[in-house]
Amino acid sequence: MTDTTAAPAPPPASAPPPPGIVVRNLKRSFGAVHALDGVSLTARSGAVTALVGPNGSGKTTLLLVLAGLLVPDSGEVQVAGFDPVVEGPSARARTGWMPDAFGTWDSLTAREVLQTFAAAYRIDPARARARATELLETVHLTEYADRPASVLSRGQKQRLGLARALVHDPQVLLLDEPASGLDPRSRVDLRILLRRLAEEGRTVLVSSHILSELEEMADDVVFVSRGRAAGASELGGAGLAATDRSTWHVRALSYAALTGWLTSVGASWQPDDEQDPHTPPREQPGGVLLTIEGDEGAARLVRDAVAAGVPLVSLSPASGALERAYLALEEERR
Amino acid sequence: MTQMIEVPAPDGATAPPTVKVRGRWALSWHGVRTVAALELRQRVRSTRWVVALVVWTVVVGAITLLLFGATRRIFDFDDVTADRSQSGPLLFAAVTFLVLGLGLLVTPTLSSTSVNGDRNAGTLATLQVTLLTSAEIALGKLLAAWAAACAFLVLSLPFLALATGAGPTPWWSLLRVVAIIAVLLVAVCAIGLGMSALVSRSAGSTVLTFIVVAAVTFIAPLLFGLTYQSVSSYQEVRVYGMPSSWNGEDEVQCVWTQEERWVANTQSTWWLLAVNPFVIVADGAGTNADDDGTDPLRGMRDVVREVRAGASGQVDECWADSSEFEAVRSEHAVWPWGLGFNVLLGAIGYVVAVRRLSIPQRTLPRGTRVA
Ligand SMILES: Nc1ncnc2c1ncn2[C@@H]1O[C@H](COP(=O)(O)OP(=O)(O)OP(=O)(O)O)[C@@H](O)[C@H]1O
Ligand SMILES: [Mg+2]
Repeated sequence: MTDTTAAPAPPPASAPPPPGIVVRNLKRSFGAVHALDGVSLTARSGAVTALVGPNGSGKTTLLLVLAGLLVPDSGEVQVAGFDPVVEGPSARARTGWMPDAFGTWDSLTAREVLQTFAAAYRIDPARARARATELLETVHLTEYADRPASVLSRGQKQRLGLARALVHDPQVLLLDEPASGLDPRSRVDLRILLRRLAEEGRTVLVSSHILSELEEMADDVVFVSRGRAAGASELGGAGLAATDRSTWHVRALSYAALTGWLTSVGASWQPDDEQDPHTPPREQPGGVLLTIEGDEGAARLVRDAVAAGVPLVSLSPASGALERAYLALEEERR
Repeated sequence: MTQMIEVPAPDGATAPPTVKVRGRWALSWHGVRTVAALELRQRVRSTRWVVALVVWTVVVGAITLLLFGATRRIFDFDDVTADRSQSGPLLFAAVTFLVLGLGLLVTPTLSSTSVNGDRNAGTLATLQVTLLTSAEIALGKLLAAWAAACAFLVLSLPFLALATGAGPTPWWSLLRVVAIIAVLLVAVCAIGLGMSALVSRSAGSTVLTFIVVAAVTFIAPLLFGLTYQSVSSYQEVRVYGMPSSWNGEDEVQCVWTQEERWVANTQSTWWLLAVNPFVIVADGAGTNADDDGTDPLRGMRDVVREVRAGASGQVDECWADSSEFEAVRSEHAVWPWGLGFNVLLGAIGYVVAVRRLSIPQRTLPRGTRVA
């Protein structure tokens, strides 16, 4: 394990993947508030892991511990194979942390901010200059490179904060609500960027409240609630990816006919968001959610349904799986 | 806009550098310079800074010229060839104290918000997670604040030079005065830095820094005055005075007698005076005007050294002018102690700052978040 981290970062395909983030039974309280109350989670390298939870559930606190800013009261933490408490500098050299609100200095330009951080990470000046230019291009801030960073808009600042977190080419990325304040275009860019970073073999842990956004970019999801990870295991182990790909939204002109046929063939379905689950199915347009094995399964369903005379309107992969899982979890908690 | 986003990797190996494990106290010139450059760049670019420098120069310049005129009028009248030995030292002392006093007023504001200000602006944590050690962050901030304080000092140099040129004050004294003031200012900067790391609110740390400066400048001498009575008592001393047979008219030779006198044992409280920055500068200036001259720095030096020596067991009460009694002028300098004390306060401030800046943090200042 130590070998892989000490050696030059191996290309993700050939060598065993370097360790990502491992957290075991982490606790941290602020006075009487138990911000983290026994969190355990694993974030694989080469994957984007989403951190989801209600306000005040301890996401930011968890990321602060992982970034090496807070000492946990108890528990084990490994970031890229290093313990941020004991081996702080080694862990920090491999970690890029982006706070939820990125503060900027009064009169430094965006380029100078990046160059300063490059220097702080001991990157030599010539390389730092090139790196700053590259990163500003990546986050589409080239136009603003030489203007004071303090006059940037909120979303632009957020993007600068992301570039800052990437300045030393970290192995592990900890992003605290990176999408907040971003316009739709920048969100797409962010998604593509994070996917790309994960494909390069990095570990990406990202907290966000924008579930539809996370759904599209995350491989794994960790739910945090009241300082505990409600965990992917409670979501059926396979996690988000599996759930997402196998849930489909089926709509028909007659809701009664659709549900009747589905029940007769023994499929397990559930009403979609628009249906009131407590009233009996009626003769009007409506849709259901159901789990289907792959695309062939979907094709088979269309064929069989049409053959059975069900007036199908649409069949599409269901969105909002993460949101449903989240709300279900919340209900459970109450 | 392109859909594809290139993720740049720094050219060459993408491996994280093999990090030398460095503790929180480790220092490197590279790290200190990075922080100091960051701090200075911000300060230099703000218009407030330029305004402050201009106002400083105008104030110090105007007062110096007024003093220059006033001392000439008082001592020299309009006679250009008159002896400068009287007005020169007074002018030098006045300008020196002016620069020191204003410096002590301005300097606390330069560093007393440097840590908590950054924390409130959300820029501190991002700096802490880099490979900079907390000693580097603290020293960089300290150096930047000191450099700013020294900028004020440098702007005062022409006026100090004018005062030096006006009289018999040696240029050597100018150098010593500037050096001692610079050391005092770095101590004040470090105290401010420590306060800003200790207190979460910027206003609070600034006020506390001023309180510390006021404590050494005013409160300690005040305490010296207040304790003066309690360290004094009646004691048997050797008195060199007029013989009891003297009728008040004849020329006589003074004689030694053993008598009770009210003496102050200030050798136990002298340090209360010694920590005062003005005393430190006066004693350390090393001006050497003639005894009868009106050199306030020399006067303060004599007083404070006498205070340090305390009760010598000898009292001079001889009215007849006689050279037999040699008041032993103490050669024991007081300023190294005072300066040392101020530097010690600064060192404590620096250590506090380094400890408060080191991560990971176990306890947070009340009511603050890391991010
Ligand atoms: N420095 C602190 N002092 C006291 N309490 C704190 C501190 N930091 C966090 N807390 C508390 O710990 C809990 C977790 O906070 P945290 O910031 O981790 O939540 P979060 O999951 O990031 O919430 P959000 O979604 O709103 O960002 C909250 O109840 C918060 O009030
Ligand atoms: Mg948060």
